Amino acid sequence: MSCELKAKDRVGTINPIFTCQPAGAQYASIGIKDCIGLVHGGQGCVMFVRLTMSQHFKESFELASSSVHEDAAVFGALHRVEQGVDVLLMRYPDLKVIPIITTCSTEVIGDDVDGVVQKLEAGLLKEKYAGREVHLIPIHTPSFVGSQISGYDVAVKAIVEHFATKSDKTNGKINLLTGWVNPADVTELKSLLAAMEVDATVLFDIETFDSPIMPDGNHVSHGETTIADLQSTANAIGTIALNKYEGAKAAKYLENEFEVPAIIGPTPIGIRNTDTFLANVKKMSGKAIPQSLVRKRGIALDAIADVSHMFLAGKKVAIYGNPDLVIGLAEYCIDLEMEPVLLLLGDDNGTYNADPRIKALKEGVGFEMEIVTNADFWELEDRIKNKGLKLDLILGHSKGRFVAIDNNIPMVRLGYPVYDRAGGFRHPVVGYDGAIWLAEEMANTIFTDMEYKHNKEWVLNVW
Amino acid sequence: MPYHQFKCSECIPERLQHAVDKGVDEDLTSALPLGYLNTIPGTISERGCAYCGAKHVIGTPMKNVIHLSHGPVGCTYDTWQTKRYISDDGNFQLKYTFASDVKESNVVFGAEKMLKKNIIEAFKAFPQIHNMNIYSTCATALIGDDINAVAEEVMEEMPGKKIFVCNSPGFAGPSQSGGHHKINLQFLNQWVGTGEPEIYSKYVINYIGEYNIQGDQEIMRDYFYRMGIQILATFTGNGRFDDLRCLHKAHLNVLECARSAEYICDELRVRYGIPRMDIDGFGFEATADSLRKIGYFFGIEDKAEQIIAEEYARWKPELDWYAARLQGVKMCLWPGGSKLWHWAHMLKTEIGINVVSVYTKFGHQGDMEKGVSRCEPGALAIDDPNELEGLEAMYELKPDLIMTGKRPGEVAKKIRVPYLNVHGYHNGPYKGFEGWVRLARDIYNCVYSPAHSLVHLDISKDEIPTDKGFVTRQMLSDVNLSDEIKNSTELRECTSDYDPIPRLRKKLEENLYTFPDPETGEWRQVPLEKLKKNKVVDVE
Amino acid sequence: MDKNVAEEKMAQLEWYISKHCLWQYNSRGWDRLIQNERILTKTKQVLRGENAKDDDTTADRYYWSEAMSLAGAFKRYFPWITETSKDDIAQILDLLKERMDFTMVKGSLNQELIKQQY
Repeated sequence: MSCELKAKDRVGTINPIFTCQPAGAQYASIGIKDCIGLVHGGQGCVMFVRLTMSQHFKESFELASSSVHEDAAVFGALHRVEQGVDVLLMRYPDLKVIPIITTCSTEVIGDDVDGVVQKLEAGLLKEKYAGREVHLIPIHTPSFVGSQISGYDVAVKAIVEHFATKSDKTNGKINLLTGWVNPADVTELKSLLAAMEVDATVLFDIETFDSPIMPDGNHVSHGETTIADLQSTANAIGTIALNKYEGAKAAKYLENEFEVPAIIGPTPIGIRNTDTFLANVKKMSGKAIPQSLVRKRGIALDAIADVSHMFLAGKKVAIYGNPDLVIGLAEYCIDLEMEPVLLLLGDDNGTYNADPRIKALKEGVGFEMEIVTNADFWELEDRIKNKGLKLDLILGHSKGRFVAIDNNIPMVRLGYPVYDRAGGFRHPVVGYDGAIWLAEEMANTIFTDMEYKHNKEWVLNVW
Repeated sequence: MPYHQFKCSECIPERLQHAVDKGVDEDLTSALPLGYLNTIPGTISERGCAYCGAKHVIGTPMKNVIHLSHGPVGCTYDTWQTKRYISDDGNFQLKYTFASDVKESNVVFGAEKMLKKNIIEAFKAFPQIHNMNIYSTCATALIGDDINAVAEEVMEEMPGKKIFVCNSPGFAGPSQSGGHHKINLQFLNQWVGTGEPEIYSKYVINYIGEYNIQGDQEIMRDYFYRMGIQILATFTGNGRFDDLRCLHKAHLNVLECARSAEYICDELRVRYGIPRMDIDGFGFEATADSLRKIGYFFGIEDKAEQIIAEEYARWKPELDWYAARLQGVKMCLWPGGSKLWHWAHMLKTEIGINVVSVYTKFGHQGDMEKGVSRCEPGALAIDDPNELEGLEAMYELKPDLIMTGKRPGEVAKKIRVPYLNVHGYHNGPYKGFEGWVRLARDIYNCVYSPAHSLVHLDISKDEIPTDKGFVTRQMLSDVNLSDEIKNSTELRECTSDYDPIPRLRKKLEENLYTFPDPETGEWRQVPLEKLKKNKVVDVE
Repeated sequence: MDKNVAEEKMAQLEWYISKHCLWQYNSRGWDRLIQNERILTKTKQVLRGENAKDDDTTADRYYWSEAMSLAGAFKRYFPWITETSKDDIAQILDLLKERMDFTMVKGSLNQELIKQQY
């Protein structure tokens, strides 16, 4: 019985699990108030990322392109950044923050985005937009480096680095770097902190990405993290970055630069990790954990007791997606007596073998388990079709849907993007509420499958 | 020129010439926006790139082909699973996508070696597949990889494998349309003329510019087969790589979407003397006219007339049920490039829709000529629209619905305008007679959604009607309808199945079609195998 | 036929073409002139009861198919056509071609028409 960490041994990708860095930077940028990201590259780098996000959220929100065309390959395309910034500022009067997100094309042709930002600050912003607060933030995310995950991490750091400003006194808040989460996760995290009466700066607050149709007005989704929030991150009592790979860079930056103590992880998925998260909040804030959370936790344990050893125990699961999400889910599944036999991480990050959680899995699991890095969906499908892998459940985002469908394996849609189930963004996976939803959703998905396959479906007669 | 000045675009004067209000006395010599010009950065235009135009729109509908993008993984991932082009042999093209996954070291040292490994790996993973399309991307075009040379090498080492190389990096043109152009001509130059097909009918066409969205091609294929016409190849929806190598052998190119595929038709006309016939498969009259024209060409007008009569009898009462209830409904018809002209006039005359605006994301002036001609005076025509202009237009025109893509649909939703997906369709197929009824049905369900009728009520201010626990669509749509129409026993609601395609595939399996022998003219069945997978012999 | 009357009738035919026909929109100007010439000439012949069919090339056959379809539609939409004399039909159709050449090519605002290649 062992857990093995290995990289995919093919060079190519058959059905990718991840997209590239600029997508991660775009996901980070939508969390900032009065912000529109300007992606410096071909138009597809925005159009399709935005399409996927709109499929996931079913919402309207803004992202812009510098629309690099053929001449750029020869002459460079910095003039298109200049024009893009000007056009955005002219037409969006509330706009204050423009992250300029690079792509493979503009990194290969060597456009000096930092230089053009300086030029714009000294010229256009001073002359045409004097008196208006505008922040241009270069974010370097060549697509051939890292993945959407490092793109998110790089972007959060670049944004924090741009804004964080030390003042004389602490703001009394905790910086909470959520990592790549859904609106419902933000709601759950806020509610846990509110119960502890802890004031937090949430990076990024995308709670309102579940936005309404109102009788009047136009309720475009925007992040709610403000410039003031971002500036004061340097004056927090501490930073908790929930995800090692999505936000930790910024947390470490704040620690190194401004001596804001940082705690990285764990991703608060499941009871145990949520307990740890609350312990960290308690340690950092000095606030006690209230009875209301004891009760909330009890409700979650009660829900788990209903499904875990009767239905979930022994179920073999494959999990793919963002590394912190996948690892957190695997840990929780083990607590639920399930066997996460295959974890697929979609990038070639060389530091996974040093991740203490992966080390713990290697030392602790009592069943055969594989963790594949740089993975694609063929790593999953090939094992199922050609190598005898038996699975009871798949956990992951919608791009892997056909592996589940074609192999008759039930699947719970989790992570990003989820477009083939309604309201995916409305369910938290973090915190005690997330633990409840995950346990029950996994059980219900298995129940539906039992019924379709007539596999002891009568068991549920008396549950 | 009756340019339309958007308030939101006053600060970018070059946008002025991209929007036109069609006046009563305007024609194409006085009202035509500019088109297909470089996008203004930062406008939040809706355009995509030339890579997606080639790979995603035109290339990938080809079935049973490994579609490999040579570049970082994002281009592949982002364009994967965002379309609904199905095939009748298992949807490999929807389910599988391949990326060479170029990383930093490849950018520095070149990515040709790893590309070769990639190709071989992919063929090994799917040994039953013998064709591959490779698409370049921004990154690999800029580092100057010679993809063609790598493909040649592999083809030599792996006999029987055929690889088409499409060089259309994302930056190659103002929009996805640049990619349409490139893939058309490159496929023609590399592969057309290399196969000799078996000709089993006297009447042979290529069906060009048809992408089998939700089964469009299969609806039209049924009509063509009922006329005894052999479809040598469809470019590219539900199309086979081998069949497409034989495009030069058809008697006629039937062109559906001129925006994406006129180039290949024009070249086939110049090089092989195959006439190009543009048709409209959307709308009863348009489809009927199209079948008639094709009928004339082959001297089988009677066959066409028979199909038209049968289809009208079967579906017209259903179309008319909706038309009676949709008169005067205001629509913004905001598609990508071709549907503004395919649909505008038929929506007006056959369903009663008042198209108050047309736009095209990536079309050329030629598309706008058709769009402006086919909509009524008063309509607003916009080229390369952007988000704020779209909002301004909707506030001004107050449409009952918009027909557009998924993402702009979300923009509309937030200002209480419902949308129908014009790219992937809501509940298509929409082509042919049955398809047009389905579109009318979807428009009706959208406009008269009882839930949608609640969006304007402000429960904090308005008087809340408390007399109803529910409302049906018909309560909303039939308010001003005459008793004659309400009680009509002839008109009926759509009876098309949720998915009509299995019925057509079953018909094909049962081999119910007959074709005239090319030599004797005798009408007879053709072995099913040939209908599904025609024999193609390699020629030098 | 009085020129104004002929123009008025021509405008009806032009309206039909603008709403229904795609053959007028080939992407290059020289191409459009050929399309107009061949299809409208054959349509004129069909409406005048002359033989318009010559199967020398598939191109001819194609133009004839468009012409047959168009002539049929004209008769359906505009019953006056069947009562119009051959000379008047020639007059109207010649005006129509002149008009189409103008709106679609010579007076066209489409900047892509002058490109030499497809």
